[in-house]
Amino acid sequence: MSHGDHSRDPCPYVILNDFGGAFSMGAIGGGIWHGIKGARNSPRGERFVGSMSAIKARAPVLGGNFGVWGGLFSTFDCAVKGYRQKEDPWNAIISGFLTGGSLALRAGPRSAFGSAVGCGILLGVFEGVGVLMNRMFAQPIPQMQLPEQAAAPSAPAVSSA
Amino acid sequence: MSFLSGLFGGSQPEPQEPSASAELFGSTTFRSNVTPSSDPSSSTSSVPQPSSAAPVTPAPTALDTFGTAFDPARLHPLAGLGDKIDFLQLDEEKLNDIQGAASVLPSRGWTDDLCVGTGTTYLSGLVLGGTWGLREGATRPLGNNPSFKLRLNSILNGCTRRGSFMGNSLGVLAIFYNLANSSFDAIRGKHDAGNAMAAAALSGAIYKSTAGVRPALVGAGLMTAAAGSWSAFKAYV
Repeated sequence: MSHGDHSRDPCPYVILNDFGGAFSMGAIGGGIWHGIKGARNSPRGERFVGSMSAIKARAPVLGGNFGVWGGLFSTFDCAVKGYRQKEDPWNAIISGFLTGGSLALRAGPRSAFGSAVGCGILLGVFEGVGVLMNRMFAQPIPQMQLPEQAAAPSAPAVSSA
Repeated sequence: MSFLSGLFGGSQPEPQEPSASAELFGSTTFRSNVTPSSDPSSSTSSVPQPSSAAPVTPAPTALDTFGTAFDPARLHPLAGLGDKIDFLQLDEEKLNDIQGAASVLPSRGWTDDLCVGTGTTYLSGLVLGGTWGLREGATRPLGNNPSFKLRLNSILNGCTRRGSFMGNSLGVLAIFYNLANSSFDAIRGKHDAGNAMAAAALSGAIYKSTAGVRPALVGAGLMTAAAGSWSAFKAYV
């Protein structure tokens, strides 16, 4: 997702990481979200039970949706990187396009194309914002100091005696 | 020893006896390798003959010239910079150093463990459930002589139903397990099979906690057994 980030695993393995990260994010976030929502929508006295059943019913599904999206995106990202041999914002846009398209494939080619374009634009906006932020907050590259001039070769007068 | 190397002050001792002329020229930073016996004319003259020295000595190589005059360590761009380099933040990428916690992939802490473990489990659940759904969809009776489109739809329905069910269930279980496991590792400062089994028991119990005490205990027992056998398998391999 972010480019030139060397704190992440190399490409085939980062897919697992992204799958798990997106799933955990969706499941935990969905747990909080649906926990609150379920409690609010339950009658008084049933709040805890309602919250629990809402979490059980909906949080894993949300996690699954997130996970499939993130994992598919990461897989396409790796494939695009491997094919183009480049690291730039177009990778994310292309893989967003492909992800959106393949997730909506069952609804027909027309709908898939629309979803793909939507996802591509979304990812393009993300990448654009990322580039802008980078440019805004980029620290100036520290000037590297030149090494001191190598000391002049000391050439003593040769005397082998 | 080459001519140039002698000129720039080689540290090696001259192997051969210094001749009278060499003694004479030694004070003038010149050195000729001629011996008096081979060339009597040069030994008598006080001015060195360049033509006599050139053919005898081998051609000077770059190694001879720079080997002694320049210290390669001082030519390195980072030489002498000290430890004030602050444009590499290496703290971000420290690997997990809890004893015994090394796995197939290098881990950078509990978030990495959580992500990779959950991802692996979720993906396996997806594949497993997908296979289950594929079989179910492929064998479901669809009346006599169903069309290909109908069969495909049945298969895809089965895959998406069973696949997401298995993936989600196993994924949630893996989240509980990894969170508990990392917490136990951090509390105890080391990782072993006991940690894994305790984390598995806890996650199984939480996963089945809404169904009652008995199912929770059964779930904890099943997960503990699974984690124990997995640990034994890892130790065996």
